Amino acid sequence: MSSAAASLPVPASAPQPPDATSSFPSRSWLHQVVAATFAGLGARLSLVWICFVGIVGVFAPMLANSHPFLIKIDGSWSSPMLQSFTPTDVTLLVGFVLTLVALRFRRISAAKRVAMVVGAIPITFLISYFTLHPPLTPTYEQYRKEARLGRVQWVLNAPVPYSPQDILTDEFSVDRPHPWAPDRTHWAGTNSFGSDITSHLIHACRIAMAIGFIASAIELVIGVVVGGLMGYFVGWVDLIGMRVVEVFSAIPTIYLLLAFVAVYGRDIYIIMIIIGVTGWVENARFVRAEFLKLRQQDFVYAAVASGLPLRSVIFRHILPNALAPLLVSTSFGVASAILYESTLSFLGLGIQIGEASWGQLLNEAVSNGGGFYWWLAIFPGVAVFFTVLAYNLVGEAVRDALDPKLQSRA
Amino acid sequence: MLTYVIRRLLLMIPTLIGMTLVLFVIMAASPGGVGASLRSAEGNMRPEQRREIEAYLKHRYGLDQPLYRQYLRWLNHVSPIGFKDVGPGWPASLPFGFKAVDLGESLQRRTSVLSLVEEALPVTLLLNVLSTPLIYVIAVTSGIYAARRRGAFMDMASGVTLIALWSLPVMCVGVLMLGYLANKDYWQSFPVGGLHDTVSDSMAFLPHWIGGHFQRGWLLDTLWHLVLPVVCLSYGGFAFLSKLMRAAMLENLAADFARTARAKGLKENVVVMRHVLRNSILPLITVGASVLPSLLGGALIVESIFSINGMGRLMIDAIFAKDQELVMSETYVIGIVSLLSLLVADLCYALADPRVSYE
Repeated sequence: MSSAAASLPVPASAPQPPDATSSFPSRSWLHQVVAATFAGLGARLSLVWICFVGIVGVFAPMLANSHPFLIKIDGSWSSPMLQSFTPTDVTLLVGFVLTLVALRFRRISAAKRVAMVVGAIPITFLISYFTLHPPLTPTYEQYRKEARLGRVQWVLNAPVPYSPQDILTDEFSVDRPHPWAPDRTHWAGTNSFGSDITSHLIHACRIAMAIGFIASAIELVIGVVVGGLMGYFVGWVDLIGMRVVEVFSAIPTIYLLLAFVAVYGRDIYIIMIIIGVTGWVENARFVRAEFLKLRQQDFVYAAVASGLPLRSVIFRHILPNALAPLLVSTSFGVASAILYESTLSFLGLGIQIGEASWGQLLNEAVSNGGGFYWWLAIFPGVAVFFTVLAYNLVGEAVRDALDPKLQSRA
Repeated sequence: MLTYVIRRLLLMIPTLIGMTLVLFVIMAASPGGVGASLRSAEGNMRPEQRREIEAYLKHRYGLDQPLYRQYLRWLNHVSPIGFKDVGPGWPASLPFGFKAVDLGESLQRRTSVLSLVEEALPVTLLLNVLSTPLIYVIAVTSGIYAARRRGAFMDMASGVTLIALWSLPVMCVGVLMLGYLANKDYWQSFPVGGLHDTVSDSMAFLPHWIGGHFQRGWLLDTLWHLVLPVVCLSYGGFAFLSKLMRAAMLENLAADFARTARAKGLKENVVVMRHVLRNSILPLITVGASVLPSLLGGALIVESIFSINGMGRLMIDAIFAKDQELVMSETYVIGIVSLLSLLVADLCYALADPRVSYE
């Protein structure tokens, strides 16, 4: 508070990026952290798994779809798969390609590349929303029926020729009720409705990744704003803010989530927002603690003295220096968001039935009649476990990379 | 100490008010507002039943009044101190003081929430009371073991195992255990669900032999039913705490006081057990404050998997039935329980560390 305290040389406890005024933290510092994080085998394997799940999620409608990619019926060629693409599918694909392109183009600054990718996504979505007309009530068994009738001359199917919503009405028989154990046509079996589990597993990657990223992005934004304001202004703002933090951390998160879901329904986007709104407390705590340490340092006084607006002081000058603990808590936050989504789906309160989610498959593994279908427990269980483990391992690795004690020892 | 406890108890009041306010805002901002449970259950409700609930909600919330008044009215109902007997209007000159807590009435089950909570809360608390010591005992033992053999194979192996255990979702473990250990098609060695056998009421309390047959008795039967749920509830917690314990042990083993203890000729066992261990337990007690709410949350999943009628299952049922009154009162009760357990964790901290004083 006093100027005497400000003039004292305060040792910086957080790693100081040399170029704190750019909109991104110094590249060299970030590069160091990233390099240290992925030096270990565990973190590298985790990154591979996360990328794998992400890519499977982006290409899900191409990997598992009841509509063939190319088909020749009665002499005429068509591509039912491309016609069945939704705006979301197209946006994800375009976003993925643009990200790859942006990663290759090193000549433009990182900020511009990120802005281009982020800007292109809503435009793609809007264009595809008005130009694409996927069938509202697709008939999934249509092409299998035509193949049986012998009308199909040539066909190129997806690797898994079933959509998650396809309940195999044409393959149904009374003497073989669903769920089916894994066999050669259904690699991971079917569920009690009769849809293919492999396809569910593939499409669920998308939901898991989306939930993880969007929910933790919301957590990050709320946490940074609330924590930053608390740490910067101290006094009354801090007092009230800490009471709010206390309120949110005293209620077990799952109870809060359930209360939200009970009231606002089970739409996937609503669930993302709800998980974000209930999980920001940890981030706010970390940001506040960092801001309390940084707010009396010389560079902050310099920024205030040169008449910069408040948002510039907080977000461009203090925040880049306070990022370190946020990296750790965000990594763990993604893991817990995925876990919460599958828990909600497991309890039957997650996304709607028929949508693909790992948690929902787990829910069906033990039936009310006392049956136990191992393929509905093992496959989605392993998928959730590996994904959560991967994010937790990355979180641990980031924490170790940022820990000055460990660095000096090495 | 007593003044500290009293101050903490008083500080709980604003937090509780904040919590209930959050819940109330969630409900009031929902499509349809507080009275939405009426419309959602409209299909299977007789007109007189509907009128009855409408009258009840009007009495409890004063639905025609502004939101802040609705909240204050509800708060008045659930707090032990307040205006007695608030009618449909706004209290002008009513007697103020201690009164009975009115948690409201479950709209779907037509019984008071208090009676439902009275049945369910002990079950959930039992699960937590059994798991917490288990978690701490295993965490402390394995933490000491790993720290003393730092870098050895067992240490590395336990490190990987612990983070894997920590990442393992409860529902996966629960479903797999239920499927492989309790299903008739596999190894049916544990009960499928519930807390008691169907015939447990006719059992004697303690295990005994009747005519050459072993009868497990009520106590052993209950314990038998509790094995899988308690395992499910504890493994994640002890994985987390073991990691913490190992880190704290490593730090303290290299500390000056440990070196002094060794230098004055104490045996390594005494150094570890008497000097290092005591200091290493402190962070475990600190995080106890965050472990307890997560245990309450974990109990919800475990209760749902093993069909145990505790608070969690009550909550899920309430949500499926859109019984907002029950949802709200239950979260209120859970909030009180978790705030109280936070207080206990803080007091334990003072007991364990003589340097900490709350005076």
